[in-house]
Amino acid sequence: MERQTAIERLSELLDDDELETSNTSMRIPTALRDAAALAVSELGIAPSATALTTAALRATLEAVVMQAALDDHYERHPQASPDLGDLAIAAAELDGHPLAGQPERLRQAAAEITANHPGASPDDVLLWAEARALPTA
Amino acid sequence: MTHLVVLDCEAIQALRDPGHPKHRPVVSHAQVVASRKRRAVAIQMVVPTAVRVEAGWDRTSPAWVFPNRLRIADSPLDTASANTAAGIRDRTGVSVADSHLGAVIQSAPHSQITIVTSDPGDMRLVAGDKNITLTAI
Repeated sequence: MERQTAIERLSELLDDDELETSNTSMRIPTALRDAAALAVSELGIAPSATALTTAALRATLEAVVMQAALDDHYERHPQASPDLGDLAIAAAELDGHPLAGQPERLRQAAAEITANHPGASPDDVLLWAEARALPTA
Repeated sequence: MTHLVVLDCEAIQALRDPGHPKHRPVVSHAQVVASRKRRAVAIQMVVPTAVRVEAGWDRTSPAWVFPNRLRIADSPLDTASANTAAGIRDRTGVSVADSHLGAVIQSAPHSQITIVTSDPGDMRLVAGDKNITLTAI
């Protein structure tokens, strides 16, 4: 199956709200199973361990499909691919971060942090920009 | 904590068209959402269906394949949200699509709500008492 076809099919399956279920014989680490059961019974994080597992699996697959779609889009339209500065600005805007209104400061922070940490994340940039904005003692 | 990201008409149109001047900023927001989903952050992008109509987003059309793959869920105009939207439209005089968007905001149980919009003024108006983050594009 081609990658594009697989992404389409994955998307279709995730959209399918059919209620039919299947038994599986998936083997998972016993400690993980017990942790899930405990989280459900004592912390109430989901109605059941099955619901917890299903939600986690769905979230992971949705993230995979989204990233695959974005990667494919960047390949076709390289100019649409955001750099670290763009992502830091977007992260700040989504969170209503105080530095969201200062995109140039975030771009500067992204440039500085990338020089020493090529794998830095948008959140790293925000933290660095925030630290740089603090008045020195 | 759950985070809802709502897209307005221009954000949707910008997402679809790589030549749109706001394409890269909106893609940046989608990328941040995808990265957070990958880290198991509870975050979801939605589009009110009336906004989808206004933007011309037909999910069966090949022209919309990229937004279709980004796991942006429909928030339907059901009976309850139609009532809320009608009240918003009556009170503020905004468009049907923006009224629906306001209904989505007002009924959202999420702890954090971000609106990606080209019209922050109207969004503030339709949000009522809800605490929202506005991302102006």
